[in-house]
Amino acid sequence: MDGNDQTCPKCKTTKYRNPAMILMVNACGHALCESCVELLFAKGSGACPECKCPLRRNNFRIQLFEDPAVDKEVDIRKRILKEFNKRQEDFSTLREYNDYLEEVENIIFNLVFDVDSTNTNKMIDNYKKENKDITMKNRNRQSQEEIELEELLEAEKAQQSEKANSYVNAELEEKKQKHKAREKLIDELMFSDADAKSIVASHVQATAALAKEQPKAAAQAGGPVVKSSKFSSGIQIGLRQNTSSFLPIPKQQDLPLFHYSAPVFDYNGPSPPAIEVLGKLKYFANIRAANATERAGGYTEALSCCRALQEAMGGLFYIPQSGHKTAVAASAEETDDMETA
Amino acid sequence: MLELKHALDAKGHCLLEMPSGTGKTTTLLSLIVAYMKAHPLDLTKLVYCSRTVPEIEKVMEEFRKLMNYYEKEMGMEQNILGLALSSRKNLCIHPSVSKEREGKVVDGRCYGLTASFVRARHAGDDAVPVCNFYEGFDAHGKEFPLPPGVYNLDDLKEYGQAKGWCPYFLARYTITHANIVVYSYHYLLDPKIAEVVSKEISKTSVVVFDEAHNIDNVCIDSMSVKITKRLMDKCSNSIQILETTISNMKENDNRRLEKEYQRLVEGLRDANIARETDMALVNPVLPSEILEEAVPGTIRTAEHFVAFLKRVVEYIKTRLRVQHVVQESPAGFLRDIHIKVCIDRKPLRFTAERFSSLIRTLEISDLTDFSPLVTVSHFATLVSTYTKGFTIIIEPFEDRAPTVSNPILYFSCLDSSIAIKPVFNRFQTVVITSGTLSPLDMYPKILDFHPVIMTSFTMTLARPCILPMIVSKGNDQVAMSSRYETREDTAVIRNYGNLLVEVAAAVPDGIVCFFTSYLYLETIVSSWYDQGIIDQLQRHKLLFIETQDAAETSLALINYIKACDNGRGAVLLSVARGKVSEGIDFDHHLGRAVLMFGIPYVYTQSRILRARLEYLRDQFQIRENDFLTFDAMRHAAQCLGRCMRGKTDYGIMILADKRFSRADKRSKLPKWIQEHLKDTNCNLSTEECVQISKRWLRQMAQPFSREDQLGISLLTLEQLQSEEMQKKIHQRAQAA
Repeated sequence: MDGNDQTCPKCKTTKYRNPAMILMVNACGHALCESCVELLFAKGSGACPECKCPLRRNNFRIQLFEDPAVDKEVDIRKRILKEFNKRQEDFSTLREYNDYLEEVENIIFNLVFDVDSTNTNKMIDNYKKENKDITMKNRNRQSQEEIELEELLEAEKAQQSEKANSYVNAELEEKKQKHKAREKLIDELMFSDADAKSIVASHVQATAALAKEQPKAAAQAGGPVVKSSKFSSGIQIGLRQNTSSFLPIPKQQDLPLFHYSAPVFDYNGPSPPAIEVLGKLKYFANIRAANATERAGGYTEALSCCRALQEAMGGLFYIPQSGHKTAVAASAEETDDMETA
Repeated sequence: MLELKHALDAKGHCLLEMPSGTGKTTTLLSLIVAYMKAHPLDLTKLVYCSRTVPEIEKVMEEFRKLMNYYEKEMGMEQNILGLALSSRKNLCIHPSVSKEREGKVVDGRCYGLTASFVRARHAGDDAVPVCNFYEGFDAHGKEFPLPPGVYNLDDLKEYGQAKGWCPYFLARYTITHANIVVYSYHYLLDPKIAEVVSKEISKTSVVVFDEAHNIDNVCIDSMSVKITKRLMDKCSNSIQILETTISNMKENDNRRLEKEYQRLVEGLRDANIARETDMALVNPVLPSEILEEAVPGTIRTAEHFVAFLKRVVEYIKTRLRVQHVVQESPAGFLRDIHIKVCIDRKPLRFTAERFSSLIRTLEISDLTDFSPLVTVSHFATLVSTYTKGFTIIIEPFEDRAPTVSNPILYFSCLDSSIAIKPVFNRFQTVVITSGTLSPLDMYPKILDFHPVIMTSFTMTLARPCILPMIVSKGNDQVAMSSRYETREDTAVIRNYGNLLVEVAAAVPDGIVCFFTSYLYLETIVSSWYDQGIIDQLQRHKLLFIETQDAAETSLALINYIKACDNGRGAVLLSVARGKVSEGIDFDHHLGRAVLMFGIPYVYTQSRILRARLEYLRDQFQIRENDFLTFDAMRHAAQCLGRCMRGKTDYGIMILADKRFSRADKRSKLPKWIQEHLKDTNCNLSTEECVQISKRWLRQMAQPFSREDQLGISLLTLEQLQSEEMQKKIHQRAQAA
């Protein structure tokens, strides 16, 4: 019973006689016990003793299921599903998707039972070539169902920890309150002059009132609030990870829109002639005209000329006032002080 | 009646606690029938759900009486059709099939004779046997509806014999137009059956759940699945059978498989429209959108589906190979099954549907072999459909025998409201009633509905015919309690024994004792042997014990009844929550006293219970302790109620545990018991208890005739119409 009837087909060891025996399977789906594997595949590769198909030692895995055929099938399935991972979103109708699923199932079936393997392999190769990019994309993408499950699990976990905390707290609180009430009663009985009976009666009332309140409070709390991850319409709040392979677009800050206003220069001197009129005023007569290469780059002689004029005139009226002024003011104050004194 | 009428007027649900034996059934039936007559458009049908076949028969008898009365008073035939429905086992009249003892076998054989493909084969080849009764019904039965009247199970059989029609299918067919249908809870609550039987019951019906104190457990059981190692091994075998059948069929007759395949491509809806007899395998509730979708491509062809089943089975087997207890949510299970064997959620959801379709296609007529696979397919569908309110617990061994490996996977429903929700949503009025529903406020919480009326009624009695007492200590003043700490205490056990012996000496005829569990019963009885209490007891009365074996128990019961009948007197030791406590009445001399030894708490270490308590706390804000006490007290009340089956009956109720006298326990007893439980009777010792019972018994033993009751608990027509009474009634109506 219960797994004790497992037998190694090679050395006939049973799980019953050797509880430490571990059965291994390889790609062909035939089981061998661990020691047989070591013995037969000492060189690293060899043939399966049952079906004579060439196997590598590294590919031996521990048999998970009671039926080694299932192990084999799951193995193949995993391999195939890595490639054939189209989702329902990739198809326009459900019917097409179902047809696709059936085809995948057929392929797996053929591989497991070695039916028509050359054709099947050809088909797989074709598919691989044709759908390379979809496959790659889907590999990084979880299906809708998986996401749902994941979310459920996460919510469950969060809920559990939160609830455990809140209940422990509530219980502690309750204990504390009881303890307090009791102490208060004893204190009152010790020190108060009132009738002991009335004190006890009032205490009973108080505790009853408290007991009434508590369930209400618990009901109000209504269990810890679970952080909702969806709007009421079912749309996710916030960005979900793993849904797209793109980098998230950095968020831009909202600033007031830009308005252009021409800069006003304070030349602190006589205003130089504007750049447009330099030609008319014959300023260019004395400077080198821009050659063809310079003009191709957007340079004109007006630019440098304008710049030179601005530099020449800027700051002509400048008087270093501030420093001077304060000195004068200070001396004036001094004199004032002296007068008053 | 007043409250019931209010509920009917408001088209809402109600919760009524009425003491047993006070005419609960008659009241319900007569008012609802009268209401149906007065408002034929608002109320078309009464669905009366009870628990067992004898109870169903009882209801039918009441109904027959009511109809006779109507006929006598109105002087004409009434145009009302009422019938009882039960399983094939109870209704079959086929000469050989009806001889079978087990319900499942009868169902299987019936299916083998009436399935559409069998009949199709019969049309071509006369050697294929079919059921003549079904053929008769199919040919003529549908055109001639059952004439109005009252039909219990035997009447149906007789009618079927006379006409040559199958009574089971006749009853099933008649449900749609009968005015009153009486059947078991399961036909309505169990989604697997309800889908088939109760689908066409109209919205304007009243549903009555009688004896509904355990309704939450029924709901939970109907949605839970238990998978053992043996079941899985059987599954592997049946998968092999399936494989060979499919390959045979492929070689010989590929047409049928092709046809099925085509149908599945189109969608399940069509697959679902099948002949009524083909509904032997039914599916757990599926959201209707799934039914309209097509079967996923992964399980469309028969071979693929069988391979898929194989993977599911192998996966569950690996899960059963655990060394320690595992508890996980359905979501966790789904993720794991996806990782381990690449099974998505969607095809899992379709498993049950697809499996029944396959069985139909393969024309397998003997279904009994495949019941393990049916269980697994239901499990697969349920686990992928519901992610909330369920939990999966895998236990490698039983708690009591940790060395014996016996892995079990429990897929346990935690939320009793899931199964009953469709019932509340669909029908305009649902009446939940029982003799013991206290505390009433718990039921709306755990079943998640809003009753318009919620009342507990008491009895008007001409004499104090029940004597509830709480015995808290023995003659030696040692407190009596079944608390875990004092369980093994010899003083407590001896005191319990002395109490029983003294009560047995004082009380005539039958005494029923209830213990908290089989284990407790056994330990106590064994130490009573050592202490010589059994010998003392047998000087007064014969002793019978309930065991876990149903056959043994019924034998003990028969002899107990015999001993009570011939005046020898007997004591029956039984267990709360056992078979005796649920549905066997000890009226009159069969139960003059009921003793409740200890408070019948459930086994709190059970993981399923723990999970459920947690769920109740999280979802409905019901504290663990509150629920446990509620559950214990309703079972205690149920046990106590066994001895009172009517107004002329009388009985002593002894609650032998110190803890019963606490306010939180006492207040949870039904109102009709509380009313008689005086404060002076709440903290008695054994001898005080015996004193009181002796005095009371002497009083009760006086002749008690119908005339004594008149004017108090029984009214003649004149009294009812007297001015004073009319005023009283008027006042009550005003107040309410």
